[in-house]
Amino acid sequence: MSTPRPLPVPDEVSAPYWAAAAQHTLVIARCSRCASFVLPPGQTCPHCHSVDPRFRFEPVSGTGTVRSWTVVRQAFLPGFDAEVPFVLVDVELTEQSELRMIGRLLDGPAAALRLGDRVSVAFEDVAPGVSIPAFTLGAPA
Amino acid sequence: MSGRFGASNQVALVGYAHSVVQRHAAAPLGVLTLDTARRAIADAGLRTDQIDGFVTAPLFPTAGAHAVEDGVSTVSATWLADNLDVRPRYAAGFQGIGQMPGAVAVAVNAIAAGAADYVVLHRAMHNPPGRYHGNPMTSAGGAQQWTAPQGYFGPLSMIALPYNEYVQRYGASREAMAAVLVEARRNGARLPWSYWHGRPLSAEEYLAEPMISDPICRYDCDIPVDGVAAFVLTSAARAADLPHRPVYVSGYATSAPATRRLPLHWPLDDIMAVGRETTRRLWESAGVGPTEVDLPQVYDGFSPFVYFWLETLGLCPPGEAHRFVLDGGIDSDSPKGLPVLSGGGALGNGRMHGVPQMLECYLQLAGRAGERQRTATIGVACQSSPHYGGAVVYSAERF
Repeated sequence: MSTPRPLPVPDEVSAPYWAAAAQHTLVIARCSRCASFVLPPGQTCPHCHSVDPRFRFEPVSGTGTVRSWTVVRQAFLPGFDAEVPFVLVDVELTEQSELRMIGRLLDGPAAALRLGDRVSVAFEDVAPGVSIPAFTLGAPA
Repeated sequence: MSGRFGASNQVALVGYAHSVVQRHAAAPLGVLTLDTARRAIADAGLRTDQIDGFVTAPLFPTAGAHAVEDGVSTVSATWLADNLDVRPRYAAGFQGIGQMPGAVAVAVNAIAAGAADYVVLHRAMHNPPGRYHGNPMTSAGGAQQWTAPQGYFGPLSMIALPYNEYVQRYGASREAMAAVLVEARRNGARLPWSYWHGRPLSAEEYLAEPMISDPICRYDCDIPVDGVAAFVLTSAARAADLPHRPVYVSGYATSAPATRRLPLHWPLDDIMAVGRETTRRLWESAGVGPTEVDLPQVYDGFSPFVYFWLETLGLCPPGEAHRFVLDGGIDSDSPKGLPVLSGGGALGNGRMHGVPQMLECYLQLAGRAGERQRTATIGVACQSSPHYGGAVVYSAERF
């Protein structure tokens, strides 16, 4: 059996994110004060600077555009040696300007990419009950 | 209220020493640091018992799981003072990114405030055994839970994303970046202390190198090394009595907080927007602008930083740095080129984290560059990213 990839450790704030991901739903934290989406959710809201943002996770479309990408050909973490080369995309989600997320592009390293390409969220089931958000090219399946 | 630094040109660099830069030094890092510090103090015409301030930036910049041990993988200001058997009035470490500009600011402020008269500022870099950035983590908590589970980890992908954003947006070629590497390595090859001494790199070698994290290849990254540099700073008044021509600190800036992002996520627009604010404050602090600078030493720990600094410093228009370098704009052997990597940078010395930029400013402005001596009066030493780093303006004259 190959070495497992590092698994996320859900915490008090992030637990709903990983619970939804396990159900193949992308949810993003939203500030209760100003309604801005925030990734990653920290102690304060970076938009309205509330120190009590009471983030709530809401489902989003999972669609976005490619702002950049890289082809990773050398792994620095366990569990990725068998995956290289793989593509990571820097995606601006549709819901909010500059709401950016980084994930693997599951179309493979040969996929032709251009800035502004549309992508949709997809999920990699990496362990029982653990799914990691990723992306595929095009509209949602 | 003026943004001009209140102690502009009131504190000076008065001496230095630099160890040989090696992949793995025979001596422990602490011993290398002691030797380098002693030589810097002697170079400044001082005795160890006259040093009453110690400043460094102790960061060990690895993404790996290597232990951080004082005197072994890093050397703190107090470790150095203690092992030199000095009880200084002031010892401090800069905690942040843009380590050399940050540490210079701490040292200059201490001297200007009278907290210390003679400060030794050092930077000790260590290359641990094993892979520098490899990390055996099996789980990712805290901030890394948002990136490591999908394989986004370490500085190569970190710099690959904004570099590819730049490449795609502006049509930058690999041939352009080859010109950066050729320039850095040609200059590094001339430095007896450099890891790359006597080993220039050709454009062909650069272009033939395979990618690690597209569009980043091995040559775009500075090589991890063991190496130490130390500088001595004092007031302009005290500097007048010392053997070497003083080089004055005119002003400095560290980057404003950048947009909150995922760990190691540095979008190109963040780098440029926050970086322009960094350089605006730099010019305001120093009381000079980009047209007055004749020795702009840009940071190049990863080669794309050369583009980002050229553009945020205002040395060429946004999106044009790749054409600028391809057209010979940074050829320091040509009278038409800007000497931005004349000190070899990190790509031409090894991972000395802002030391090559500061050292080149010191050597050239003090008239101590030997055969490499050029005419220069105002230098800038940059470090890290314009949006997550800092820069210092140095001057041969007080103004």
